[in-house]
Amino acid sequence: MVGETVYEVTSRGMNEPAKSSFDTGLRIADEHLRQVLLGNEFLVFDGAMGTQMQARGLAQPGVNPDLLNLTNPQAITDIHAAYVAAGAEVITTNTFGANALKLEGHASVQEVYEAAVACAKKAHARYVAGDIGPTGALLEPLGTLSFDDAYEIFAEQVQAADTAGCDLILIETLADLREAKAALLAAKEHTDLPVFITMTFGEDGRTFLGTPPEVAAEVLSSLGAHAVGINCSLGPDELLPLAQSMAQRVRCPLMVQPNAGMPRMENDMTVYDVTPEQFAMSMKALIACGANIVGSCCGSSPDFTRALRAVVDEAVAPVTRAYEPALVLASAQKAVVLPAGTPRVAVIGERINPTGKPKLQAALKAGNFDYVVGEAVSQAEAGADVLDVNVGLPELDEPTTLACVVDKLAATLTLPLVFDSSDPEALECAVRSYAGKPLINSVNAKQESLEAVLPLVKKYGCAVLGLTLDETGIPPTAEGRLRAAQRIVSAAEAAGIPREDIVIDCLVMAAATNQDEACEILRAVSLVKEQLGVRTALGVSNISFGLPQRGLMNATFLSAAFGAGLDLPILNPLSARYRDVVAAFRVLNGQDVGSRSYIETFANALDPYAPRAAEGAQGSVVAADQRTMPELSLPISPALADAASEVTCMMHHILSGQRGPMADATLALLEAHDALDVVNGVFIPALDEAGRRFDSGVFFLPQLMASAEAVKAGFDVVRAHMDACSDAKVIADRRTIAVATVKGDIHDIGKNIAKMLLENYGYNVVDLGRDVSPEDILSAVEDGGITLVGLSALMTTTVKAMEQTVSLLHERAPQVRVIVAGAVLTPEYALRMGADYYAKDAAETARIAERFFAHEAH
Amino acid sequence: MAQLVRPEGLTLDRQEALRYVGYNGQAIDDALLGRFELLAQACEQDLSPAGVWESFAIEQVTQTGVKLASGLVLEGTDIAAHLAKAKEAVLLACTLGVESERELRKYAATSAVDGMLYGACASALVESLANAVEASVVAYATERGLRTNFRYSPGYGDLPLDVQPGFVRALQATVRIGLTCTPDNFLVPTKSVTAVVGLFDAAATIPDEGSRCSACQLRYHCELRKKGTSCHGR
Repeated sequence: MVGETVYEVTSRGMNEPAKSSFDTGLRIADEHLRQVLLGNEFLVFDGAMGTQMQARGLAQPGVNPDLLNLTNPQAITDIHAAYVAAGAEVITTNTFGANALKLEGHASVQEVYEAAVACAKKAHARYVAGDIGPTGALLEPLGTLSFDDAYEIFAEQVQAADTAGCDLILIETLADLREAKAALLAAKEHTDLPVFITMTFGEDGRTFLGTPPEVAAEVLSSLGAHAVGINCSLGPDELLPLAQSMAQRVRCPLMVQPNAGMPRMENDMTVYDVTPEQFAMSMKALIACGANIVGSCCGSSPDFTRALRAVVDEAVAPVTRAYEPALVLASAQKAVVLPAGTPRVAVIGERINPTGKPKLQAALKAGNFDYVVGEAVSQAEAGADVLDVNVGLPELDEPTTLACVVDKLAATLTLPLVFDSSDPEALECAVRSYAGKPLINSVNAKQESLEAVLPLVKKYGCAVLGLTLDETGIPPTAEGRLRAAQRIVSAAEAAGIPREDIVIDCLVMAAATNQDEACEILRAVSLVKEQLGVRTALGVSNISFGLPQRGLMNATFLSAAFGAGLDLPILNPLSARYRDVVAAFRVLNGQDVGSRSYIETFANALDPYAPRAAEGAQGSVVAADQRTMPELSLPISPALADAASEVTCMMHHILSGQRGPMADATLALLEAHDALDVVNGVFIPALDEAGRRFDSGVFFLPQLMASAEAVKAGFDVVRAHMDACSDAKVIADRRTIAVATVKGDIHDIGKNIAKMLLENYGYNVVDLGRDVSPEDILSAVEDGGITLVGLSALMTTTVKAMEQTVSLLHERAPQVRVIVAGAVLTPEYALRMGADYYAKDAAETARIAERFFAHEAH
Repeated sequence: MAQLVRPEGLTLDRQEALRYVGYNGQAIDDALLGRFELLAQACEQDLSPAGVWESFAIEQVTQTGVKLASGLVLEGTDIAAHLAKAKEAVLLACTLGVESERELRKYAATSAVDGMLYGACASALVESLANAVEASVVAYATERGLRTNFRYSPGYGDLPLDVQPGFVRALQATVRIGLTCTPDNFLVPTKSVTAVVGLFDAAATIPDEGSRCSACQLRYHCELRKKGTSCHGR
């Protein structure tokens, strides 16, 4: 039943996506190239340029070889001509490094492409491919080049290549999927020529930034590349398994240009160990796995092209790729794959959503994305497969916030993401630079929504979640929801979005208010799946609104929904009840092969319904803990005299760095005591004691920080408590300190420790980050009306930047006082550079701040 | 040709990791110690440490530097002393990989304590990795009847960090192990090491190994030296 329609999708998928994925306005040189793009004919590219330059003594160390197009065009033409004579149909221009960064002003990008294309045409190339290599700089977050700057660099090259008369664009040897995406978007948005893109992989089968071939294939072909593949990297034999992985995932022709084997140094020359004949033999296997665009890379020569040409001429027609249609959601490192027609469950973690979560709301408003990372990590550890990201708050700039949160998550986790927003601008902002294939949440059956969202989904090669609601609202019946889903699916397909990229959410209503609909929702899931052959999602916990024991209701509904065909439950993965249902169902649907994971999880687990015998066990642990507690000589403040043992216990937690028990202990103390007394009678004296212990060497740094962390756990409770009682008497008067690691220095650990301690003393800390210019620090200080700044530097070389910052601040913001700190500083040096205070460590920074603000108050 | 080293089951020295964050024999609660141990294990299990090395002929040693046959010039009087009378120079590079960057950011974002402890663990692990790569160099040298001296890294003495890009290029370290350089010549991933090891004839006099601190730029500020120890265990 389910299978019938799904098979339809499967059969449509086989080797056909390329036929439908053409942009209508594509400028294709001739019929042969058109057939190549359809996967029906072969195309032979040339081989190595650098190797040939070396062999002819043209390469000069330190000189960009692309300048040879201008200084020695005949030599370049000769190399091209040799490849044409050997049977290459496509000549790749000598422009691998012809970008604004690498040319360093020696020539303009346009000049180099003009000259390079002239060389290729003079060699009588049938087609000229405008070559574009990586920028040569590392993109954020690892490096410093922004996505937008990379895009601009590539856009200039694409325009130059198009103007110079290329027949297609070849983007090659990319190792960073994000950079590849910048290049591909730049190409798609600046030319109507076909765009081919290939990435390079290491001996571990991934790019050096950790992208496996199947992810590169899915992301780049979904983005609308006209051919996707692998170049350089390794020899043809080593590339075979990588090409096979790609063949399953590319929706366009597969391109392969291996090296002539593995490089080794011989007499200080790089040599390769595969002969042209061996190379051609190995290429047969790559052609057999579906590659129809072939060539060679480093270490090769026209002899390789000649041998390859012979192999291609022998083969009658390209082999059908083993493409497997699937819903694929991917980060740059990891793909979650739900193959069409195969039962699979993937859990979408729902917790990054500020609705009803005051802490997350506060964190987002404060730009504290670390908190968001914490939410993401805990869901990942609890087994979420994909994470939903929603930052919709009325007072936030959603496009900017969503993009920032997505960048932060992509830099810290490998789980694929769901971009959850009703604002198309926010969606585009986030999706544009995301190195992966996200699920867009959501579109619905209203015309307005279809028109706003589907073009984005198509353009950026995303998957899309469709909500079964239309202009009339949410249809109450299963058939009504199916009709809405049909409308979404046909509009998506008309927009060029393949069916396997569509997920339908039949929208859960509360059983307490819409009891009749509960079974209709389940029936709708079955109908949508059977009749439309798409994947389904549900926001499970909506079912239990207004009912007691929500966990019981949620878990029961989840089980029923799985039975009806739910694939992507959207839920809180921290709920053990949910996790148990998912784990159990993965046995039933065959996903947990041999029930291995189930057995591992539950073989020794206790039955949650068995009567509990050992109720007192936990209490005895606490008692033991208290017995071993060292004597604390801290006086108890009079205001807390009636809770002396609780206070002592909390101080012990703080000084032993245990944040776990702090929230409950603080809450208990707040029941009968003033918040300010808790802060001044517990947190501050305990922190001071931790600072004293650190100063005297009794504590080492992580112990001091763990104490601060425990205080933070307590502070969070105090803040929430005060917000709740809208107590007018706020603890700290929001005395503000800005901290930064100076320009040129990326060692920010000292700054981070200082920030943490200061926060736990109640200061409002503005963290300007690392590698911050003097000007940026000044403007932050001016904008925020800040009077105290902490600067940190680790290296001797960056102390200069610290000095510049101090003088700029003193000159332009004379009311500001500056604390300097860092391993290479001394009190004398600090004085000499004109700093107001020298702090030897974070604890001292906190003491200076205390003195400073006490003085300022008088 | 360049040798790729991917040591299996690499462990990190816990004492050393704690020392990096100022441990000096203080009593530590079990809670913190347990947390540290979990992070140390995560560090050992979740990353894929890799190294690459290659031996280069020495074309010229002058007082102010060393020119290798690959064209790379190592500038400085200290490196010249390090490689004086050496037969060949081995360049080695190793890294905990791009996953280490992600994990460091993750722990730093979720808890400053975890971030600091994990960073210390990663530093200790990259040290173990460098030892393992060095061991592979020593084995190679021994096989050829040669001896080695200690690992000398850019940034020691007067060997400038400017050499990092050339170093990475000479070993093709970007494509082989994913090691890159920022425009300011920092290695990325940060938990990476590059170093030069000299190969000497059995009969040759190997330059004095006790001079590591005297060549260090931080010698006047070093907290370890004040306590009478060193960062290199000698």
